[in-house]
Amino acid sequence: MACNRDGTHHPLEVGLSTALCNATRGRNGGPVGTTRREAISLLALAVLAGRAGPANAAGGNGQLSWGVHVSLAPTWFDPAEMSGIITPYMVYYALHDGLVKAMPGQPFAPSLATSWSASDDGLVYEFTLRDGVKFHDGEPVTAEDVKFSYERYRGSSSKALKDHVASVETPDPKRVLFKLKQPWPDFMTFYTSATAAAWIVPKKYVEQVGDEGFKKAPIGAGPYKFVSFTPGVELTLEAFDQYWRKKPNVDRLVFKVIPDEATRLAALKRGEVDIVYSIRGELAEELQRTKGLALKPTVIQAPFWLYFPDQWDPSSPWHDQRVRQAASFAIDNNGINQALTLGYSKITGSIIPYTFEHYWQPPAPVYDPARAKKLLAEAGHPNGFDAGDYYCDASYSNLAEAVLNNLQAIGIRAKLRPLERAAFFKGYGEKSYKNLIQGASGAFGNAATRLQAFVVKGGTYVYGSYPDIDALFDQQAAELDAKKRAAILDKIQQLVSERTIYAHLWQLAFINGAGPRVGESGLGLIAGHAYSAPYEDLTLAAK
Amino acid sequence: MTRYIIRRIGYSLVSLLLLSLTIFLFVRVTGDPTTLLVEPGASQADINAIRERFGLDQPIWLQYWTFIGSLVQGDFGQSFYYRMPVLELYVSRLPSSLLLAPAAMAFSLLIGIPSGVLAAVRVGRFWDRAGKIFALLGLSLPSFWVGLVLILFFSVYLEWLPSSGSGTVWHLLMPAFALGWYFAAAHMRLTRSSMLEVLGSEYIKLARLKGLPESLVIAKHAFKNALIPVLTLAGINLVIMINVAVVVETVFAWPGIGRLLYEGITFRDFPVVQAVVLLGGGMIVIVNLLIDVLYAVIDPRIRLES
Repeated sequence: MACNRDGTHHPLEVGLSTALCNATRGRNGGPVGTTRREAISLLALAVLAGRAGPANAAGGNGQLSWGVHVSLAPTWFDPAEMSGIITPYMVYYALHDGLVKAMPGQPFAPSLATSWSASDDGLVYEFTLRDGVKFHDGEPVTAEDVKFSYERYRGSSSKALKDHVASVETPDPKRVLFKLKQPWPDFMTFYTSATAAAWIVPKKYVEQVGDEGFKKAPIGAGPYKFVSFTPGVELTLEAFDQYWRKKPNVDRLVFKVIPDEATRLAALKRGEVDIVYSIRGELAEELQRTKGLALKPTVIQAPFWLYFPDQWDPSSPWHDQRVRQAASFAIDNNGINQALTLGYSKITGSIIPYTFEHYWQPPAPVYDPARAKKLLAEAGHPNGFDAGDYYCDASYSNLAEAVLNNLQAIGIRAKLRPLERAAFFKGYGEKSYKNLIQGASGAFGNAATRLQAFVVKGGTYVYGSYPDIDALFDQQAAELDAKKRAAILDKIQQLVSERTIYAHLWQLAFINGAGPRVGESGLGLIAGHAYSAPYEDLTLAAK
Repeated sequence: MTRYIIRRIGYSLVSLLLLSLTIFLFVRVTGDPTTLLVEPGASQADINAIRERFGLDQPIWLQYWTFIGSLVQGDFGQSFYYRMPVLELYVSRLPSSLLLAPAAMAFSLLIGIPSGVLAAVRVGRFWDRAGKIFALLGLSLPSFWVGLVLILFFSVYLEWLPSSGSGTVWHLLMPAFALGWYFAAAHMRLTRSSMLEVLGSEYIKLARLKGLPESLVIAKHAFKNALIPVLTLAGINLVIMINVAVVVETVFAWPGIGRLLYEGITFRDFPVVQAVVLLGGGMIVIVNLLIDVLYAVIDPRIRLES
């Protein structure tokens, strides 16, 4: 399926004429020989010697092209389908707009809504819509569209959101009221961040073309409008001049899927694309060394940690906090960061992304192998101990190997058990591992949602819990006073840190590259966002 | 003859049914796709919702029954990742594979057949030894390595060819060569052995005794007969090139069936993997069926014996 709303074909670069032109000249530029055999030979020579079109195929002055690492799926055109992974936001920020969304310097920036407020009893949230905002088909964005987008949302955390909302009312075209069944302090987090229910789609158009039709030719209220798409291959977008925030600087955006990392880098070097996502290890170093190219790392909302699932088992060495502290002191976070992500990952010391609401900054992890050995000796393991298996997602076994080497250096001997990603998280969630687990999460939410999944009793990835922390968690969930709630969440995070429930590795840097045609790449402008955004702020380099 | 054809069709259908069962079970052994469709840390409610949506919460026999039921109606299901009909995806990628596979086959035959003939004619001498080294390299060098070396050399250093993608004849050259390279070695080996067998036959000796020029003996009498098994293999290889050029299509970002299969495996997109394997298997079954029928038409002993 190749969808072209404007009926045009893909803008394919045709270098054939250049080559045929070359094929009509001899080596010295003279006329072609007369015999058929000579002509064929010269044609073959010209094919080998001639350049296949311009090397800089990334596009004209008004275009930026990306080499994307994952397959583009039509489901990413519809915010109602958001499955809880971060990649669709690569498209949402271009095609669509939200009532409230993360923007540079603002995790909750007013966008389609100019303001919002909660009633004193915490039961009603009111949003006021921006005047004069239009969808790409020229229709105005109204309260009915907001209600419709919420009601048709069926993606990640939709049940959690809808279980709390009693009704949505639209007293006039510019006002929307969300009435809750009971006070819910996390309403804004779930409505505008953990779900894509607040990304607005045009009711009239969706009803007209249906869900499948919408995915084939989406219309939104974002800075770029849909031009064409070949699933898994290429997406082309065009600037929407009437975007409310500003007219986009770049006329056309093209996203090309290039699954292989080395090929992506080659495409960037050759100027076939302007920005590439996900370049790691030696290839990132190569990119850094290449004149004219720039590394553009972004720290994403994915902290990595080492979990001690046996800490609640009195017969396990990990039950003794000194052993857990020893493991933490043994890990050379900065050295590993430098070696594996060129120093661009962020060492936060938390399982919660630093960009999340209610994040509490713990003390930075300290690398002190001497202190680690001392603590081990005090805990009765002067010669270290055999720690059994170290489970990890095989995609990050390089990180695991580095951590294992650090642990080995103080005498904690563990065996690496890399598992394919799905199998790893299945086992993690089913609580079938022992000894050591290298975990990570990129899920949306805030500090409370992360604690619920990874610290508090009953959490998907919780092997044991501490009653006082569980009690504090229940307390914050019922607290309507924002300041008091924040204080409780800070306290919980402090306890998690003090008890060394986890040893911390890093908050992962997603390393990207940009070519010489790029002025503002948009990478890193929005804290925690992996991709270029906001697209309307992107620029081409001055000539 | 009719009974023979009906019996062969029956065998083919049984083969496809067994293939469907095998691939259906095989992809499920690899694990649960839902964990790849959500971020780690997703709630159990979200995971359950996805399982329910894709029917993965059903007993496996029921999932298979539903799959077969849809299959007989020509419905290969919805892709978990793309959320669109798998057949639509397959059809959208097929033209690219139908372009790449013949080009790769042309490369492989242009390299494999002449070098095989040369090795057979000069058996035990330089060209034969060179051919053996070529066959060894062709079969042992991984396609991704060949692909990356080609990109590095022709695209990054010489800047002659685009590094990846599709759309022009220039985009086609490197992936076609990288894919054809591997098969060229196989075709070279078969051509060589087939030529050697033919060159040792009685009618070739007779032709030489009659005083025909050696070039005529090789080109007209030996080569034509030696080519039959090579072309039979090439036919099967063409189907393989269309459906499972996974590595080459991924390295060169070529939007064909092989890359679709790679995506299906990566995202544990069961319907995609099932469809690609079944449709590829179906093509091979049809080719074999046609060959069986053709053999029977040519040689009546085959149908009588069977």
